[in-house]
Amino acid sequence: MSRVIWRERLDSTMTEAARLAAEGIPNGTVVAARMQTAGQGRQGREWLSASGDGLYCTFILRLAEVPAITLALGLAVVEALTPIVGSGLDIRWPNDVLWQGKKLCGILARLEHGVVLAGIGINLNQLQFPPGLRTPATSLRLATSKTFDAEEVLNQLLGPVDQATQLNREEILRLFAQTSSYVSGRRVRVDLDGSILEGVTDGLDEFGFLRIRKENGARETVYAGSVRPLK
Amino acid sequence: MNIEEIKELIQLANDTGVAELEVQRGEHRVRIQRAVAQREVVLPAAAPVAVAAAPAVLAAAAPALAPAEKDNLYTVKSPIVGTFYEAASPDAAPFVKPGDSVMAKTTVCIIESMKLMNEIEAEVSGTIVARLVENGKPVEYGEALFTIRPN
Repeated sequence: MSRVIWRERLDSTMTEAARLAAEGIPNGTVVAARMQTAGQGRQGREWLSASGDGLYCTFILRLAEVPAITLALGLAVVEALTPIVGSGLDIRWPNDVLWQGKKLCGILARLEHGVVLAGIGINLNQLQFPPGLRTPATSLRLATSKTFDAEEVLNQLLGPVDQATQLNREEILRLFAQTSSYVSGRRVRVDLDGSILEGVTDGLDEFGFLRIRKENGARETVYAGSVRPLK
Repeated sequence: MNIEEIKELIQLANDTGVAELEVQRGEHRVRIQRAVAQREVVLPAAAPVAVAAAPAVLAAAAPALAPAEKDNLYTVKSPIVGTFYEAASPDAAPFVKPGDSVMAKTTVCIIESMKLMNEIEAEVSGTIVARLVENGKPVEYGEALFTIRPN
């Protein structure tokens, strides 16, 4: 059973979760904030976190094993949001949750002193987004024409996250391949923090890494980096 | 690169205690792994390879170490397959650099694997001797990341 700690305002739920984890707070605790002043994205990028716009939370997970945990978290978000938006959800490897090709949710996890800090940001009530985002974004409101309360959405997420963290790696990879259109046959460009790789996705390897087949037939495995669709 | 130069490199690897070093001169590349007591010589290189880290490793390691110390170095290894980052973000300073003192719980780098940022700890207290991997490069399971002289 998850315990949720709500704060009006934090610099980042990741920072607060790290502090609480260091104090020994139990597995399954969730830190959530109405707004963040320094929401964290990958590679030092900012996650926009205005009050009321989104759900900003970090799950503190003490797991015996960490098999493909970030893939499992994307599955949990899809599970939680499917009753809200219906069809049209997709996961872009490893774990950006998209609705009709636009980013609805970002997930970023840290393994720190043996504890997984799983940050999840879900766009709820935005009607527009600032220009210059790396991926076009959307929100639950844009998807459904309704407004959402962060606490209600988080409550819907607790069960799916709990279940997803109990899956073994084979189950996670099988479910991921069923859920994500990016696993195979998708033409993509991968930004490997400097170099660019282009090709067609060719399944996951046994650990959950994304295999890419290049035009010359060579295969590469992607461990990290940003995957973007190519027309 | 001739056999004498390769012998010198092997001697240098032994003297300094680095787990692995790779040097390229022109089209010739030599890679020496001490940890598995194996010498792998690849000539010529199939493609240009990044060896910028190797001279830096030697420069950092060589003056600091007497032969008696060579076996006392601790090697921090990657617990997973992923991408090596020396800093929390591209704009941030590296977590550690050669010469820095660390505690067992000090974060020395991040290995990113599918958006899971694994903060790697020094595991021993001591002084960083060398960083063995280039920023942003993929690392294998068990690959040597840093050497530390424990105190």
